[in-house]
Amino acid sequence: MKIRVGVFFGGKSVEHEVSVISAIQAFNAFDREKYDVIPVYITKDNEFYTGEYAGKIEEYRDIPALIRKSTRVIVVNDGGRTKLVRYPMKKFGDSTEAEIDVAFPVVHGTNVEDGALQGYFQTLNIPYAGCDVVSSAVGMDKYVMKAVLKDNGIPVLDCVTVTALEYAKDSDKIIDETEQKIGFPAIVKPINLGSSVGIKIGRDKDGLAEALDYAFTFSGRVLVERAITNLREINCSVCGDKDEAEASECEEPIGSDEILSFEDKYVSGGAKESKSSGMASLKRKIPADISKETREEIRSVAVKAFKCLGCSGVSRIDFMIDSDENKVYLNEINTIPGSLAFYLWESVGVKYPRLLDKMVSLALKRERELKNLNFTFKSNILAEAKLGGVKGGKLNG
Amino acid sequence: MSNYIYIASYFLFFVTLLYSFILNFIRYMHMFQLNSYHASEQFKWIKENMGEVLKRHVPSLLAAAFAFVSCFIMNGTLYGVNPVGISHTEDVLGSHMIYEPYKANTWDLLICSILIITGLYLCKSKPAKKKLVFTPRVIRMCATSAILYGAVCALSMIFLFYSGLNLSVLCLWQVFSLFMPMIANFINKPIEKGVNNHYINDAKRIISELPNLVTIGITGSYGKTSTKFYLNKLLSAKYNVLMTPESYNTTMGVVKTVRGSLNATYDFFICEMGAKGVGEIKEICDIVKPKHSMITSIGEQHLETFKSVDNIIKTKFEIADCITDGTVYLNYDNEYIRNRQINKNVISYGLSAESDYYADNISVTVKGTSFTVHHGEEKGDFSTKLIGGHNVQNIVGAIAAANTLGVSFAELKTPVRRLEAVPHRMEIIDKGGSVIIDDAFNSNPAGAKAALDTLALMEGYKILITPGMVELGEKEYELNKSFGSQAAEVCDYVIAVGEKQAKAIIDGLKEAGYPEEKSFVAGDLNGALAKADSLNAGESRKIVLLENDLPDNY
Repeated sequence: MKIRVGVFFGGKSVEHEVSVISAIQAFNAFDREKYDVIPVYITKDNEFYTGEYAGKIEEYRDIPALIRKSTRVIVVNDGGRTKLVRYPMKKFGDSTEAEIDVAFPVVHGTNVEDGALQGYFQTLNIPYAGCDVVSSAVGMDKYVMKAVLKDNGIPVLDCVTVTALEYAKDSDKIIDETEQKIGFPAIVKPINLGSSVGIKIGRDKDGLAEALDYAFTFSGRVLVERAITNLREINCSVCGDKDEAEASECEEPIGSDEILSFEDKYVSGGAKESKSSGMASLKRKIPADISKETREEIRSVAVKAFKCLGCSGVSRIDFMIDSDENKVYLNEINTIPGSLAFYLWESVGVKYPRLLDKMVSLALKRERELKNLNFTFKSNILAEAKLGGVKGGKLNG
Repeated sequence: MSNYIYIASYFLFFVTLLYSFILNFIRYMHMFQLNSYHASEQFKWIKENMGEVLKRHVPSLLAAAFAFVSCFIMNGTLYGVNPVGISHTEDVLGSHMIYEPYKANTWDLLICSILIITGLYLCKSKPAKKKLVFTPRVIRMCATSAILYGAVCALSMIFLFYSGLNLSVLCLWQVFSLFMPMIANFINKPIEKGVNNHYINDAKRIISELPNLVTIGITGSYGKTSTKFYLNKLLSAKYNVLMTPESYNTTMGVVKTVRGSLNATYDFFICEMGAKGVGEIKEICDIVKPKHSMITSIGEQHLETFKSVDNIIKTKFEIADCITDGTVYLNYDNEYIRNRQINKNVISYGLSAESDYYADNISVTVKGTSFTVHHGEEKGDFSTKLIGGHNVQNIVGAIAAANTLGVSFAELKTPVRRLEAVPHRMEIIDKGGSVIIDDAFNSNPAGAKAALDTLALMEGYKILITPGMVELGEKEYELNKSFGSQAAEVCDYVIAVGEKQAKAIIDGLKEAGYPEEKSFVAGDLNGALAKADSLNAGESRKIVLLENDLPDNY
């Protein structure tokens, strides 16, 4: 009997297609001696599908056809066992399509990476890999993440948050305040979207206004921080949990624009490279060309940030180096990174199957620790309560 | 018109018959389940509850007798009317009964119906502590019973309708609800065996597909469930562990756990094994094939089914026999265990320095217990919320196993501190004004004495509620009597539950010179609790020790 892992991907997110790529990569990399892997594709309508074609990347060129060939399922906890049950159920016989021991979400973006899917698994009592509900949510909210990191002495850029309503009421005031607090050039980012969507730089008042308008088309809350002029981006991955974590190699992604755009990250790769290798095919420099001290600084700050945010599994932490000031700032954390950052780990000798192995162990460890705590009261408090008694007041009074 | 009334009254008769049969059948099936489907124990229960049985069936017997007289002997002449023409033909034997068409009269039917209904209301069941569970096995027995019952009724109607015996046979058949569970169980034996074998083979298959799983078997006359709970918590500090839940320690219970919950994510499987007879532990070992095992104690539990203490020792040690290159953990504080030499890798534990793992420096307070565990040169201080000196033994056993399986003393400190009371085993329920120590699942003299020792440490008005201990064989009276004497030294009030075992306890109290007004005999647990509630404790807080609560079949 092998451990049965359900890989969940897709979802109602702008990074839907990207997560398909990451997930199929992971699906293929699991050690089949130890695991039975079941692919579960989540459509943009949040319907779950599985089947023998759901794990093949070619099938995703024509998703409607794939769905017709697959079986729609719902996830249900039946007597402590997690089952994928065919929906609608068969009239006769067993409708169970598969059973899983661990859920493995490989999803990116809002609605899936932010704790929504994690909360769903938690409610179904399924052990799942990766960050839990809180750390997923914190990791997705750029502002809250900054606040927590700042409180732990980790260098982040100061920022100003703006809501769409505030901006609509008095845009001039906002721009003036921002100029005072942040100055130019300033970069505007939606607070809870990933993958560089909606991000623009404003070099003066007009530019800032344009950037804010642009960002507000994507989200109701944005933040504005100083745009580093002489910028180098360095990424580092961390694997582990709040008790023990280690950092991978550092990389420097190379982009065509000043900041990496969506196109850079996921659409690049020339005719020779396969279009479907995601972050792995992005032009990058591994290991990054930085000094030994900087490398160690980045790696240790990454681990510290990972732990104080309560993360688990594999995350990728993106740093910014201000070459003018020679300072390192933490930009953001990706709690489910593209391709699970496996290429960063191969550089330090951790092959992908082993990385996945570790993530499954961490999921089971967290499950074990949760079981050791009490969440429900043994007795039914209501059974002993005097409903409508002296203290509570009359029920029908 | 009279035809319709006749049919209606036959119908009414069958309805009451069926209703009576079902209610009685369910009651007996319930007791049968609690008696582990053992016919011998069921017969014992019948003997001890003859009053209830008679109440349920005497009216039906009366109805049968009446029907016999009225339909058969008097052939309806009781009512002054002969509804059917009689032809008197004498046969060779000179009897005239066989060829005459006798049929039950409407009045006969009504009278019998009333009698049967009376039987129902004469015996109202008390609400049960543990209800009848309709397991697939029970449902199969109900099906067999229904078929058998229906078949006999049908045969009687078809062949005896005109014989004047129909009504009395049917009423008599109602009495068979008493034996029906046992008959159905007997008939179903081949089916049950087949079903069980299928499940057992499935469990064996699952175990064989998990070569990396390490199974630890735990048995003992007492302490095995507590030790299992503790070992589960301690090992879970570092590993993924599955344990058999609650008191699932029979072969089929273990098979159910393996088939229902075991999968490849677990590192360890802790399997509690219970037995009432020789060979039962070996049976479980053959299925789960433990790598290591533990014997927590050997006492005189279930002496009636084991027949002798030697059998108990032999059976418990079956769990050691099946170990090849693993370890057997033994509680060397127990004399029977200590005296048995075995040729396996043994790690001993207990409270004396002769054991590999031993605890000393034990301090038992109301808030919890603390102690020091020694293993060779190494030692560790532990503290826990659990109370009861006898619990320290169980915890040391769990520590010994967890430690040799890879959890260090340092890693064990926190889980030991976090250990919670196993339900109904010295479980403290603090109700603000009063405190209840729920030791309802304890069933052995050593545990009972330890409970009293713990009660002695507490401040307040100490009340003991106990029905005494059962399944102790010949020594049952003696052991309950000494329990009574021990209670006399500690308690401010003693309430014995149930007349049967209570006598021994009351005798024990008397022997110790305990004042009679400080004791009381209650009929059941609710009565006992009500009495405890009504006692005047003055300024002190009431502390109630519930020692050993008996299931419904006692």
